[in-house]
Amino acid sequence: MKRFSILILTLCLCLTGCGKQTTEATAQIFAMDTVMEVAAYGEHAEQAVKYTEKRIEELENRLSRTKAHSLVSGLNRDGSIRHLTYDYWNLIARAKEYRDATNGAFDITIAPVMDAWGFTGDSFRVPEQSELDTLLKKVNSDAIQMLGSPSDSVTLGEGQAIDLGGIAKGYTSDCVEAVFYDHEIENGKISLGGNVFVLGTKPDGSDWRVGIKDPRNESGLAAILSLRDAYAITSGGYERYFEENGKTYHHIIDPATGYPADSGLLSVTVVADANGPDQEWVLPGNGTMCDAFSTALFVMGEEQALDFWRNGGYDFDLVLVTEDGRVVITAGLADRFEEVKDSGYTYETVS
Amino acid sequence: MKLTTKQLTLCAVLTALALAFSYLENFFPLSLAIPIPGIKLGLANIVTVFALYALGPAQALLILTGRCLLGAVFAGNMNALIFSLLGGFSAMLVMILLSRSRHLSIYGVSIGGAAAHNCGQIAAACLTLGSMAPLYYLPILLGASLITGAVTGVAAACLFRALVHTNILR
Amino acid sequence: MKRFPELKPNFWDVIVVLAVIALAALSAMTVWRGGTETGTLTAVVTADGQEIDRFAPADLLDAPRTYSYNGVTLTVAAEDGNGLRVSSSDCPTQDCVRTGTISRSGQSIVCLPARIVIQLIGGAADSSGVDIVIG
Repeated sequence: MKRFSILILTLCLCLTGCGKQTTEATAQIFAMDTVMEVAAYGEHAEQAVKYTEKRIEELENRLSRTKAHSLVSGLNRDGSIRHLTYDYWNLIARAKEYRDATNGAFDITIAPVMDAWGFTGDSFRVPEQSELDTLLKKVNSDAIQMLGSPSDSVTLGEGQAIDLGGIAKGYTSDCVEAVFYDHEIENGKISLGGNVFVLGTKPDGSDWRVGIKDPRNESGLAAILSLRDAYAITSGGYERYFEENGKTYHHIIDPATGYPADSGLLSVTVVADANGPDQEWVLPGNGTMCDAFSTALFVMGEEQALDFWRNGGYDFDLVLVTEDGRVVITAGLADRFEEVKDSGYTYETVS
Repeated sequence: MKLTTKQLTLCAVLTALALAFSYLENFFPLSLAIPIPGIKLGLANIVTVFALYALGPAQALLILTGRCLLGAVFAGNMNALIFSLLGGFSAMLVMILLSRSRHLSIYGVSIGGAAAHNCGQIAAACLTLGSMAPLYYLPILLGASLITGAVTGVAAACLFRALVHTNILR
Repeated sequence: MKRFPELKPNFWDVIVVLAVIALAALSAMTVWRGGTETGTLTAVVTADGQEIDRFAPADLLDAPRTYSYNGVTLTVAAEDGNGLRVSSSDCPTQDCVRTGTISRSGQSIVCLPARIVIQLIGGAADSSGVDIVIG
């Protein structure tokens, strides 16, 4: 009996030793022109959230175009940069890749056109066509030259400037996923404006329920997704816009025309799996991809977007909200998707 | 406590059986109906009921402790231990009390035990989640305990009928 | 202590079953009452992530509330009983005013220039019960 007691005692000690104390930590972070909400559950949740805040601050300081000392500002000012770190070099390389994949519907060299519309400094105006024509000649990230190791350089084309606003938040969510794994977080979420990353399930074991905002009604929803270990990123013209002479101009500029994209879509949500713990932690992953594609497919329009989903060679799913009142869902989301009653939309699944 | 070789062997076999039941429960995805990870039907209570009558409360407790600890080692987490300990010991306590009544049959005892088991698990859920929200499922689980308790009772009664002519129970 | 169990169900077992049913009914009445076990709808106001106010939306019917942070002043007013909205703000973007009325748990109004977030929590959850809203 004595031996038995010792055995039980040892087992108890062992269990308390390996047993994890799950704690919850949350934070609200104002960065990148949006408010971010992060929540983490796990033994090291507190540290994970603190580290996330630090990481976001660091990323903003490097990627923002409005901060004079950022990497992007430096590159735009000098036209080239050498000895770039591995992570940011890859981020720009990935942006070029997505430009090619989407036939230019997503392009980081759109920066001068964004400036002309005043979307960079909130001093909105409608530029002259001649002005746009001149600026559009500079829009083509194929002209960016990149040399790998040992120079690790990026050189912009003559008169070009880049804006990473279309992928910065997506890349940030990639980095947060890595932070979560580093801190052994079991369940977590981060929402950065239109971008969401969820790790695992909710702490109670059920899926995270992610609502896609109704572009026509600020307080309503167009659809609900049940997600775990996934990215979901939405782009829509309703997020940022201005009105002039009774016409509305939104912030997603079509690199082909220089005008706000008018493709018949109200919003595009791109959903993809989490990168997983094996992803090299500083590299851009599916978060970056979703961010770039949500912008690109909004520009492309329904038909081209669905064609790209089928034949583009990338693994993701889509929820498209169209101007004519339809919500189009791709087959991969069919069983993770819920209609919203009284939203006034008709729902269709495509494959 | 002094155990004879027969009792010790029986305890060991029953602990193994209880563990097998615990494992079997993983195949009932109860979490689909009740989104609290860790909640179990309580099939392992069959062993507790049987041990309580065949070996007495002391050895039944021994088996229960062994089952909970080993089960937690297999599951590899502390939460599973809290659920099975609170569930198992609540059931045990109530069944010891109920079995003292000469009037109750094995069915009444195991239904009472199942109800206590589920109450204990809700308590464990409240404890591990740090919230009172799991109480929401108490009525459902109490209702379910009528069925699991009856199943446990039938199974245990079958065991006794089958073993009544052997010397195991003597 | 050990003894052979009674193997035939009897009247006393029925009493145990009835007791469990009674307990289930009792607990159902306690925890399912009204379906709002999480408490009443509450508005939580945070500035730069720190909570600065917490009130029931109905309190606004008496008087609107004003908050100043980061050089911006905004006023929160009642709307249709349970709802609330930012009625005015001296921020340059006016996004908080444009957001309009919120009335269900989980909804929020954000004023970026002020770094203020007004969020509704608790109460009967929004029927859609979403955890995160994107877009």
